[in-house]
Amino acid sequence: MTTHSLASLHHQYSFLKRLSNSESIPLPPSSLFLHPSPSSSSSSTTTTTSSTTTTFSLSPTTSSSTPTTSNPISFDTLKHHLSTQNFFQADEETRRLLIVLAGEAAQKRRYVFFSEVQFISEADLKAIDELWKQYSNNKFGYSVQKRLWQKANKDFTKFFIKVGWMKKLDTEIEQYNYRAFPNEFTWEINDETPEGHLPLTNALRGTQLLNSILSHPAFEGEEDEKEAEVKGSLRDNGPKPLSSLFPKPDYSF
Amino acid sequence: MASLVSSPFTLPASKADQLSSLSQKHFFLHSFLPKKINNLPNSKSSLKVKCAAIGNGLFTQTTPEVRRIVPENNNNLPTVKIVYVVLEAQYQSSLSSAVQSLNQNSNFASFEVVGYLVEELRDENTYKTFCKDLEDANIFIGSLIFVEELALKVKTAVEKERDRLDAVLVFPSMPEVMRLNKLGSFSMSQLGQSKSPFFQLFKRKKQGAGFADSMLKLVRTLPKVLKYLPSDKAQDARLYILSLQFWLGGSPDNLQNFLKMISSSYVPALKGTKVDYSDPVLFLDSGIWHPLAPCMYDDVKEYLNWYGTRRDVNEKLRGPDAPVIGLVLQRSHIVTGDESHYVAVIMELEAKGAKVIPIFAGGLDFSGPVERFLIDPVTKKPMVNSVVSLTGFALVGGPARQDHPRAVEALMKLDVPYIVALPLVFQTTEEWLNSTLGLHPIQVALQVALPELDGGMEPIVFAGRKSHALHKRVEQLCTRAIKWAELKRKSKTEKKLAITVFSFPPDKGNVGTAAYLNVFASIYSVLKDLQKDGYNVEGLPETAEALIEDVIHDKEAQFNSPNLNVAYKMSVREYQNLTPYAPALEENWGKPPGNLNSDGENLLVYGKQYGNVFIGVQPTFGYEGDPMRLLFSKSASPHHGFAAYYSFVEKIFEADAVLHFGTHGSLEFMPGKQVGMSDVCYPDSLIGNIPNVYYYAANNPSEATIAKRRSYANTISYLTPPAENAGLYKGLKQLSELISSYQSLKDSGRGQQIVSSIISTARQCNLDKDVELPEEGEQISAKERDLVVGKVYSKIMEIESRLLPCGLHVIGEPPSAMEAVATLVNIAALDRPEDGISSMPSILAETVGRNIEDVYRGSDKGILKDVELLRQITEASRGAISAFVQKTTNKNGQVVDVADKLSSILGFGINEPWIQYLSNTKFYRADREKLRVLFEFLGECLKLVVADNELGSLKQALEGKYVEPGPGGDPIRNPKVLPTGKNIHALDPQAIPTTAAMQSAKVVVDRLVERQKVDNGGKYPETVALVLWGTDNIKTYGESLAQVLWMIGVRPVADTFGRVNRVEPVSLEELGRPRIDVVVNCSGVFRDLFINQMNLLDRAVKMVAELDEPVEQNYVRKHALEQAKALGIEVREAATRVFSNASGSYSSNVNLAVENSSWNDEKQLQDMYLSRKSFAFDCDAPGAGMTEKRKVFEMALSTADATFQNLDSSEISLTDVSHYFDSDPTNLVQNLRKDGKKPSAYIADTTTANAQVRTLAETVRLDARTKLLNPKWYEGMMSSGYEGVREIEKRLTNTVGWSATSGQVDNWVYEEANSTFIQDENMLNRLMNTNPNSFRKLIQTFLEANGRGYWETSEENIEKLRQLYSEVEDKIEGIDR
Repeated sequence: MTTHSLASLHHQYSFLKRLSNSESIPLPPSSLFLHPSPSSSSSSTTTTTSSTTTTFSLSPTTSSSTPTTSNPISFDTLKHHLSTQNFFQADEETRRLLIVLAGEAAQKRRYVFFSEVQFISEADLKAIDELWKQYSNNKFGYSVQKRLWQKANKDFTKFFIKVGWMKKLDTEIEQYNYRAFPNEFTWEINDETPEGHLPLTNALRGTQLLNSILSHPAFEGEEDEKEAEVKGSLRDNGPKPLSSLFPKPDYSF
Repeated sequence: MASLVSSPFTLPASKADQLSSLSQKHFFLHSFLPKKINNLPNSKSSLKVKCAAIGNGLFTQTTPEVRRIVPENNNNLPTVKIVYVVLEAQYQSSLSSAVQSLNQNSNFASFEVVGYLVEELRDENTYKTFCKDLEDANIFIGSLIFVEELALKVKTAVEKERDRLDAVLVFPSMPEVMRLNKLGSFSMSQLGQSKSPFFQLFKRKKQGAGFADSMLKLVRTLPKVLKYLPSDKAQDARLYILSLQFWLGGSPDNLQNFLKMISSSYVPALKGTKVDYSDPVLFLDSGIWHPLAPCMYDDVKEYLNWYGTRRDVNEKLRGPDAPVIGLVLQRSHIVTGDESHYVAVIMELEAKGAKVIPIFAGGLDFSGPVERFLIDPVTKKPMVNSVVSLTGFALVGGPARQDHPRAVEALMKLDVPYIVALPLVFQTTEEWLNSTLGLHPIQVALQVALPELDGGMEPIVFAGRKSHALHKRVEQLCTRAIKWAELKRKSKTEKKLAITVFSFPPDKGNVGTAAYLNVFASIYSVLKDLQKDGYNVEGLPETAEALIEDVIHDKEAQFNSPNLNVAYKMSVREYQNLTPYAPALEENWGKPPGNLNSDGENLLVYGKQYGNVFIGVQPTFGYEGDPMRLLFSKSASPHHGFAAYYSFVEKIFEADAVLHFGTHGSLEFMPGKQVGMSDVCYPDSLIGNIPNVYYYAANNPSEATIAKRRSYANTISYLTPPAENAGLYKGLKQLSELISSYQSLKDSGRGQQIVSSIISTARQCNLDKDVELPEEGEQISAKERDLVVGKVYSKIMEIESRLLPCGLHVIGEPPSAMEAVATLVNIAALDRPEDGISSMPSILAETVGRNIEDVYRGSDKGILKDVELLRQITEASRGAISAFVQKTTNKNGQVVDVADKLSSILGFGINEPWIQYLSNTKFYRADREKLRVLFEFLGECLKLVVADNELGSLKQALEGKYVEPGPGGDPIRNPKVLPTGKNIHALDPQAIPTTAAMQSAKVVVDRLVERQKVDNGGKYPETVALVLWGTDNIKTYGESLAQVLWMIGVRPVADTFGRVNRVEPVSLEELGRPRIDVVVNCSGVFRDLFINQMNLLDRAVKMVAELDEPVEQNYVRKHALEQAKALGIEVREAATRVFSNASGSYSSNVNLAVENSSWNDEKQLQDMYLSRKSFAFDCDAPGAGMTEKRKVFEMALSTADATFQNLDSSEISLTDVSHYFDSDPTNLVQNLRKDGKKPSAYIADTTTANAQVRTLAETVRLDARTKLLNPKWYEGMMSSGYEGVREIEKRLTNTVGWSATSGQVDNWVYEEANSTFIQDENMLNRLMNTNPNSFRKLIQTFLEANGRGYWETSEENIEKLRQLYSEVEDKIEGIDR
């Protein structure tokens, strides 16, 4: 009686919580957010889970590392939202898809643990990315973000500033704070919309999830000239880059 | 001469050419002026001080409206309104979610809810809304309300509605709030008075943190019992217990059922409605939790088994070779699902290759879980390499009552580095980022200061208020935790250590400065020891002297720079690559490399590497010699050379740890938030990811705390050198002999003649300023003779018995037992009633039928008989203690088996060595029992004084072990400071001032007021300008703080937990004098450590100013009214008296200007003081931090009749450090006063049992006599060699500082110093050869004293100094080239 699965415990409300993370933004009308949108639930086969389950296995949905079409997941909803320029819904759907793709445990938990990203197939991630790029004139998408991230020497603060996820504060010293979700984000494409602004991966639980996504083999080819150049210049100068101080997380299992 | 006075550097007129080239050089080295800075004085914008807080001026601007849920209520259901107040936000999402589901799914009621975070109630409007919300509320819920001010607000508001409310539920909080509890017939209004076992439980809380745990135990067991109890009363009590279970269970489900239960049982509108609710779902009280794990574990082996089966992580992380980090989590965050920040840390650690064991507990005592889950039950070895607590709380006791000894016991068993990080509680992320203070002061008190007493390190803010991770902070925390863990794992041969020494002021003669420490001898001793222990120290020279040569002499010196050995040249490109924050430095210093620590192309790192040990010289602030910057910089960023040094240590040398060597460097004083630093705070960026170990003087806990909080240091204490009595010399010695012959011959007819000699000798010794001496040849009566002799005698005794630290301490060389005698004598001189220990002097005085206090008073007055008795008592104390020490030590003077020897001594009372000694004195009948108790205590102290733990603790820290924490302070007052080698901490800032401190404060204030009346025609001072020091208040538990309170006539009121957060006025009748106005100048360190107390003082001053009292009885009000009128502001605002530096800046910079001779005239120093010290703390807008209020500051200072400071310990006196004159406003006040009158300047000396209030001039003389001019002192210093010369020079420079700020230095002090150090050829040569650089500065200082008009002397003396100056210049050039 004393031990319970916390993953299931949080099922009902963590979604809500995630949305209300900003300090100053009032909760949106609950009816809008408490339930996944009708179209997404119809397309999903795995959103409903029993809250009485106390154990789970990581193996079933995640074992396939082969980029095949064996996965029954549909990207139609995402495509629909994107094609209608409904970026807010598209963003929601992307997060939902990511959770679904990460496996049963992630669904129960309602967020993806960074180490689950490796189980998402290249094809699926690429498919999501392609849709974003396609409907944003190459402004949005993970691969766009990856390029910017590398340009920022994989410094997440610089990256967040670049893609407009942090805002400058009016202080003597130059400082940035996270933008409040969802009001302070831009949900449309115009000239001011920063490149790579969407899809949003929040930093509520740090940056390791996004790190894993951007480091996923699906976006391997994205290494640009800038990184090659930096590497070269560092080699000339001798010292190791910052990132070499710690072993890079190894995702090749 | 006149031209000299106005030049920025004091330079002799002759040899002008040569010297001006020197001045150029100095200018180049130390006063680099980036172009931008030249404009500073004109640029208004950079002077503008930005007020961090917006809106209401409080710490948080959030409103509870985001937590308000109003139901739509379509079905006309009865509405239940709930109002709650909590400390932390984690319940908010869970409660909101519970209420939302209830409103959607239940058919019996609709729920309206509004929640308040306790800190929000500070805001007037929010509080009003809160009271209004309560008016129609059904249910009130409160939890963890431990801040007294706010607890009282909650109490007042709820009390009014309590009878009307249907239910009041308060979970662990202050008793005042707990008493509000009410459920039907169940009430806690009798809490603390009732005898029933239930209430006894709450009463027991006073004994410790066990409270929360016994409450939990009760929660677990009681329901089962209560279920079977039939009566209504039991039913209500049962529901209370169930409520507590639901609450602690915290999940939305539990809270839903909780609300169902309470509303259906107690809301009248729902009476008779059948509402089903489930029992609380219970989780483990403590256990191990991981976001991926299928369940919580209460067995670490089971957890690790699961960990080993994880398929999402690689072999390396699962395997036995990964570093393991223990995490300590709060259960409430886990059960309420408010754990994003915990998940962030776990992900970050795992991604960085570390295994985690996250443990949690529901109560407030984590010591049990730590022992159970993190220590292997079989081997007793830690299962982790380092531990990070993410709770922010002390390990035992949380926000309630802490039990530090229990925590330390558990952590000693665990024996790994212990980090306490914290989430924001009272502020939003933006508010914290905007604040120059950084973390909210109450959170600092609860979540930074208290964990430090457990030995907790690295108070890193890693999450926002709603548990969202701050990604960069999380990264910093995790990287550092792993680095600490690596210390536990790496072998000694591969470990790399960067020893960092300081250079203050920036001059070659000063490399390796640290208070009381012979730095190079200590480093040498440390390295020898590390070498023996297996560290790689290849190439270490044979002697400490050779080590100095290696570091400070560059064999291939070719740059116009201090010719230190260049260890590394860093190209600008490399520097920029390695230093991500480098662009931010350009605003102040231009493009790299700049002129400091640079050869014009590269940045230079000075130092020398031996094997895996690098000894480096920390660059200085860089603007010491720059008057403009000293004057105008509120704070300036580190220069490129400074940043390059730490980039080198972290990324090129790749240090596993840095050891900062001695008190103190500049890293921790770099700009940034006071506490709780963000990504852009320089100390945080500079220290990077390197574990920091810091040797710190045991007597300086306040600055050690700054190092601990701002540079994440494990501060290991070292002993100040053993103290000796100053003794007598030259004329003073003759005087003492004359006095002793007077005593035996005074009635023989030779009395008059001897008195004449005494008077003339006293004059020669310049005692005429301290004692009123009759004119020579004047006939005086026998009685008057006694009084004159008595007064001189008393002065001589005061000088003789003054304690001074002799020489410099060397790490690894504890004092011998005999060297400890003087310290023990002084320990024995204090009564310790709380331990039942009588002081030696009082025991001895009793023996001859006297009270020691009377003897002290008589001696102060110069009554010959009392002076003589006091001398005898002092002599007997020393004799008895020496006899005791001799018995417990061996031939070499080292202590052998104190315990054994002592027990044999104590076992056979007859042979007690002190009794043997005393039997030959007039005190042979002294109380044996009292003596035995005293000597037992002294025996313990002796053991601690001579203990050698400083090296041992360093090695522990380097091996990734836990270093036992201990208080810093004065070993004489508080022997718990001993043995040294502890991780120093300050104290609970809310614990001061104590009652005892208040008592002592009254004595000092009364003496001060009396003294001022005597000197000022019987008039009370209207205003006293005084200084509050951090260390002083730590050592004395707030004595000087209490002095301020007593001057204005208020007393502190402690809450249930003994914390002082309130004051109340003392009536004028009780005070018996007018309330004296104050101008309080808090040191920057005091501001950092005791901002709550600044708040308290400001409230006290404002309260007093608003009292309806006649102005001639209330000078605070008098002045405030005048100032309000003059400035056109409210009285309350005019009553601003508590000042300090701007946040993140320290000192008035007068000290730097004096040390570097970089000032034109006194006016400039006064401007510095005013511009840097005029920042006030406002209790009405605490969130605004320090705000510039220069006008009020000047007006308040202009009313001062006296200036005043405290001397807290014998080792740090007026000329030992530059801090005292740095904060002295005496001349400034004179300038500001309308009548131009010089205020009296006083120094209180509480270093001895017989507290004194002396004038500043008297104290300066006493200091000069006992230190600078005392052969015992300077010979002691000379025996330390290189560093010793610098110490001598420092005293002279500080003396000039006093001339500059107060003009209270007599001419003879300089004259005597000149004859001691310059006219004595032998001495002169020794100084010049031992440390030519410091000697040059010594001469420069003499010339400066003369040039500025502080010392008048013969042209001959000056000429000689000038000659010497050029001689030593040549010598230095000769050595270097």
